[in-house]
Order: sequence, then structure tokens, then C-alpha cells
Amino acid sequence: MASIFSKDKRIIYTRRIREFWFEFKSKKIGLAGLALIIIYVLVAVFAPFLTPYNPITQPRLAQATAMPEWITVFPGYQDYGKTQREILNWNVEKGSEFVEGWGSSAEIQYEAGKPQLVQVELSSQFSYMQMAPNEFFTLFRYEVANIKDIECSIALSLIPPEANSSYIFWRSETLTAEKSQDVTVDSKDPIFIKRLGFKLQENLGNIIFSQKGDYTFILLIQFRPLSNDAMAKVVIKNSQIVLLGRVHGILGTDYLAKDIWSHLVWGSRISLSIGLLAALVGTVIGIFVGVTSGYLGGLTDEVLMRTVDILLCLPLLPLLLALVHLYGRNVYYIVLFIGIFGWQGLARVIRSQTLSIRETPYIESARASGASGFYIMQKHIVPNIIPVAFASMILAVPSAILFEAALSFLGFGDPRVVTWGMMLQHAFGFGGFSQLAWWWIVPPGLAIIGLCMAFVFIGHAFDEIVNPRLRRRR
Amino acid sequence: MREYLLKRIIISIFILWVVATLNFVIFQVVSPLSPEDTYAPLNLDIPPETLELIRELYGLNEPMHMRYIKYIKNMFTFDFGISFVSRKPVVVEMSQRLPATVLLLGSSMVATILIGTPIGILAASKRGSKKDIVTIGAGLFTWGVPVFFIQLLFMLFFSYYWMKIFGVPLFPVRGLYSIPPLANPLAFMADVAWHIGLPLITLVVGGFGAWALYTRNILLDALTQDYIITARAKGLSERTVLYRHAFRSTLPPIVTIIALSIPGIITGAMITEWIFTLPGIGRWYLDALTGSDYPVLQAVLFMFAILTILCNLIADLLYGILDPRIRVGVRR
Repeated sequence: MASIFSKDKRIIYTRRIREFWFEFKSKKIGLAGLALIIIYVLVAVFAPFLTPYNPITQPRLAQATAMPEWITVFPGYQDYGKTQREILNWNVEKGSEFVEGWGSSAEIQYEAGKPQLVQVELSSQFSYMQMAPNEFFTLFRYEVANIKDIECSIALSLIPPEANSSYIFWRSETLTAEKSQDVTVDSKDPIFIKRLGFKLQENLGNIIFSQKGDYTFILLIQFRPLSNDAMAKVVIKNSQIVLLGRVHGILGTDYLAKDIWSHLVWGSRISLSIGLLAALVGTVIGIFVGVTSGYLGGLTDEVLMRTVDILLCLPLLPLLLALVHLYGRNVYYIVLFIGIFGWQGLARVIRSQTLSIRETPYIESARASGASGFYIMQKHIVPNIIPVAFASMILAVPSAILFEAALSFLGFGDPRVVTWGMMLQHAFGFGGFSQLAWWWIVPPGLAIIGLCMAFVFIGHAFDEIVNPRLRRRR
Repeated sequence: MREYLLKRIIISIFILWVVATLNFVIFQVVSPLSPEDTYAPLNLDIPPETLELIRELYGLNEPMHMRYIKYIKNMFTFDFGISFVSRKPVVVEMSQRLPATVLLLGSSMVATILIGTPIGILAASKRGSKKDIVTIGAGLFTWGVPVFFIQLLFMLFFSYYWMKIFGVPLFPVRGLYSIPPLANPLAFMADVAWHIGLPLITLVVGGFGAWALYTRNILLDALTQDYIITARAKGLSERTVLYRHAFRSTLPPIVTIIALSIPGIITGAMITEWIFTLPGIGRWYLDALTGSDYPVLQAVLFMFAILTILCNLIADLLYGILDPRIRVGVRR
């Protein structure tokens, strides 16, 4: 990097930067903004270490729109439980002679014998000591193999503590051929609710797990041999029950029960990069157009400035929405479009600066000694307008961030990346408001405000140093 | 003056033509409409003759330059065609959508100016005081805060939380009037005012800071002029100096900026209409986007451009009329 500049140039630049920093230090508001940005950058860089979950691929971490965990400190919420995952370990209750192995997976073998009905009963107990969950689901996998001349059936039921009756969770059809299946029994499944004889609007989680204590799962496997050489093998695997928590993590969950804290942290990456990149694209175009137009003048100037006029007449948000809609909701397009349509104001400022620099004696002498137009623009004009351009770029960052947030909020963001605007869109569109999910609505908005304010503060401080008379309108 | 106006109008028409062409390029050249693609996802068995008929109907069989000429002619005669979705002429629907937008924006702009200007004057007259710093803060705040987030927050608290605590929401969350509409005209107006309350308040909260800061900065510029020192030296009261001398001179830029900010406010209102489900132009545009309703999209973008150009023109003319220096200069 350093080798680009000659030694005395380097000294000049370092001195300039040091002087600038000296002045910047006296602006409290600018320092506050800088500190804030450093925090955001650190969060963005260390996102993988700050987040326990993937905000896109890990749903159902708790119930949908679960509250933050720390809410349990407040009265009225103390009973709210976290997600409880229980791996079911099977014990044999009946028919142990047929069970080959048990534990987290169980293997039941029926071999040729007397043609009579055989029942194998496995049980697994777990304790649940929290407030009844709103949602739960049970998973297991069964594999039926080596089957011959036999009818077999599997049923799973749950016995609540101190109860005589049980809830039948699942029952297989009569199995006569090899089959394996992953079974999910979900408390939100209408067929399941109907089968247990409840109304659809009733909450199974609240009904079944209303008591605290030991719950017992019973797995009943029946063999009905049809001939003397009947045989079958049934394997039960990966059995677990997940009682989804009413509270989860630092900031709760959204409508798909994904982790909001992770979403928020990862969102900082996108917002920072979109804001900086779009502002950079806009600034580069703005400098190029402004300097060219100001230095060359004449027809070039006229054409470029009329282009600016035309761009200023275009309604920015509707146009961006149309472009993003037509060309695809891609984050790179969004950056590009925001940059391409966001340089008009800067170009005008740079042009007027260039006009005044062009008339200075040293440019005249450079021209007299035969320097080409390109050389003068690049060596003499651009370095002089860099501070103004930089201040303007910093102020362009928040508007780019806000534009992206607005696009995402209206549902025109890139669906593959995690952004704060998207969180607000989901909260708005998927019931965050009717459920009063403040932990879902407030954090992304505050994150946007914090980041934008940081840039506004720095830009404000910059503006005062670099160009006290410059006021931006748009 | 007439010459200047004529030149401006010619340039405006040129800009409009460019915008219209850009519209044409975006919607008909780069991603043109094709009935085949439109109906393909539906898996309907549409006979080729029907597709041909559709192509015929929308003039898709004509060569590009003919389509372009026809398109430009239609745009400049405000014949925007028929909406794909509602099957109504775009102009008719636009006139139905306009009142909601005009009502919302007009009232919010008036309220923003009425609240922001006095705050700006106060801040400028007490430069460096706490009030001034608060005003600057409020102005910077509007730079970094998405208005739609303010709207969501207000909606959350004044509609949803209010509903939970008191049983009825303080403000409704959607629509421009209750359904079915009230029969009594007075009651209907009150109903509309109630519905528009929350969007209006939030737009003012999100906008008054910038306005106050703007007024303050112009007024501060004016207060450093020599004639203010003269006025003070004459022994005029600070009040007279502020209102009769300084504030009067700020009127031209303030009026100009009102005219210039109208287009930006309209696009900003798009999100407001989306959030509060107001049947205005912005909401219409967003619905048209999801339905790929090209005639509507083209018409709205074109009308936005006309509005922007008109506002720029009006701003220029008003400046000339209000500022005596320019006015006198023109007469000579």
C-alpha cells in the first residue's frame, strides 16, 4: 500500500490525517458515532461466535413467537419454561423374551413359534416440571424387516402422571411387508387433535401436559403370526419428545420459532456491507461525473447535468422496487441500484467545487506546462475534493441502509440473506403485532436506528470540519 | 421571463420524454410481457389462437418502433390503457386512488410545517441553548430513523397494546374508513379523521425534526446578515428583528423547499399506505408490482415524474415571485 506513494507524499498524507484526527477528537458527537460503529463492526465480524443458532436453517427452537428467556425474572412469567428435549430410553415392561436390545433404540425380534398373539410393551419415563407448553412434538423411527407371514402393528401412547387413561399418540396400520418410516406426532396437527377427540381450537400441549410430574410413554408392538414359520424384526430408533418452550434465548423466537438474536446479529453484516458498498458506488460515480462535468465544461457538462436533472425527477423508491422486482431480488442488484441512483446530489456539489478549483493559478500553470486534462483531474482536482466526497459518502451510508430496510420491509429484499428489514416484514406480515411480540418488532428497528445514527453523527462531525457551509438537502 | 419559462417548459418536456422512454425500456424491452410466460405457471391449456389474440390485443405483434411511437403518444395524451388486474381504465382507477393520498399527504405536510417552523424559529433565536441542541438532535434523528419503524411502534402501542389494556384500540390499524361506511356525512368525516390519525401523527413525528432544522439553518443564515445588525443598531426590539426582518427573508427558500419536497414525501408515503392499508396511489403501485400490472406501473412512474417536474417549475417560479431581488432583476 505504502509503495504507491513517494516518501514525501506519504508524510503529507500522514500529517493531514493526523490534523484531521486532532480536530475530529474534539467533536463529542463524532466520537460517539465512531464508538457505535466499532461496536457494530465487531458484532458483524464476530457474528458466528455470538450466535448459537443459524437464523435461516434452524426453525422450531421453541414455540412460535416465544418470549426472551430473561422475561422469567418478572412476576407473572416465572413459570414459563424453556424448550425441553427428552431422548426416550426404552425399558421392557412385557414380552422381554422378544426384545434383543433396548435403550435409546430398541430391537424386537419375533421368530417362528406358536401362532399366537404376542404383545411387547416398552416404556419410557421422563419428568416435566414446567408450565404446560403450547406446542410439543414427538419423533421416532421404526424399521420393520425380515417380515414373513405375520401381521404386526405399533402404537405409541402417553400416560400422564397419576392417571389411569392414556392418550394414543400414534398407531400404525397393520404391517405385513418391510417398511421404515420417520414418525412425527405434532400437537398442531389437526388430524392428531381430532383423533384424540378434542376441538381444533383447543391446545393439546396445555391439556396433556397440564400436570407437573413423571410422564410415561408406552410403545406397544403386536405380532399376529399367520403361520408357523412367521417371523419379523422391528427396530425403534431416535425416539424423542420435544416440549417447545414458552421462552427462548436472548430475544425469543419468530413465527417459525427461529432465533431472533442470531437473526439480529447476522443482520448487522448485511446492513453494514449494503450501506457501505452502495454509498461507495454512488460516491465513485458522483466524483467521476462531478469532476468530468466541472472540468471539461461545455457539451459534456450540459449532457451530464441534464442527466442529473432527469435522475432527480425519477421517483427513487418506486423505481427501485420496480427494478428489483423485474431483475430479481438479489442483494448485489440492490446494492448496485441504490448506488446508481444515489449520486446526483454529490455530483452537483463536486461539480461546483471543481469549477472553483479549475480557476486556481496552480491548475492554470499545470495546464500551461502541458499537463493533459486527465492528468490534472486525477492529480490535482480529485485529491482536493476527496474530503468533501468522503463526508458526503458517510452521510450516504444511512440513506442506503434505510433504502435497503424499506425494500426488505416491503418484501422486495433478497430472501436468501438475513436483514433487519426482513425481520420487520415478517413481524408485520406474520402476526408479530397481534401477538404483541415486542421482542420481535423493537430490536431490528433499534438496530437500524443505532447504525444509521452512528453514521449520521460521524457525517455531521465531518461536515463541520471539512465544509461548514455545505448543507445537504436530500 | 417568458423566454425563461419557455425554455424551462421545453426542457421539462424533454425530461418527461426521457422518463417515458426509460419506462418503455424497463417494462417492454428488457423484461417484455409475453402471454406465454404469464400463463405458463398456471398450466392451463390455452390454445395458440387465444395466445395470438392476446398478443394482438396488447399490440405485441407490432414491430418495436411502432409500439414505441404508440406508447409515447399514449403517455403524453394520458391514455394509460387498462389495468391487467382490475380491468378498469388506469386513469379512472387513479382518480379513485388519488383522494386518499392527497388527504394523507396534504394534512401531514401542513401539520409538519405548522409544527416544525415555530420550533426552528425558536431554536434559531436562542442559538446554542438547550432548545437549539434539542432541535438539532431532532433534525439529525429524522436522518437516521426509518419512518416506517416509528409507524410500526406507534401502531403496536396505540392500537394493539391499547386494545389489550382498554379493550378498544385508540386508532384503527387499517383502512380509510369503517366498513360499512357511515351514512351521516359528518360522522363519515369524523371516521376518516380517526382512521387517518395514526398515519398522520407518525408522518409528522418522523418529519418535523428535519423541517425545524431546515428553518433554523436558513434563519441563522439570515440573522448573520448586515441588515439585521443595522436593524438591531436602530434599536428595534428583538421580536421585530426576528419576525419582520429575518423571518421574512427566509420565506422564499422555505416556500421553494416545500414545493421541492412534495415528490419525495409522496414516495415516502408509499410505505405509510402499505402499513395502514390506505387505498392510495402508493398502495396501488405496490399491489400492481406484485401483480406485474405494467400499465399501472408505467402510469404511476410517469405521473410521479410529471409531478416532480411541475413542483420544480413551481419552486423556481415562486422563488422568482417571492424574492424581490430576482423579481426586480427580471423586470429590468
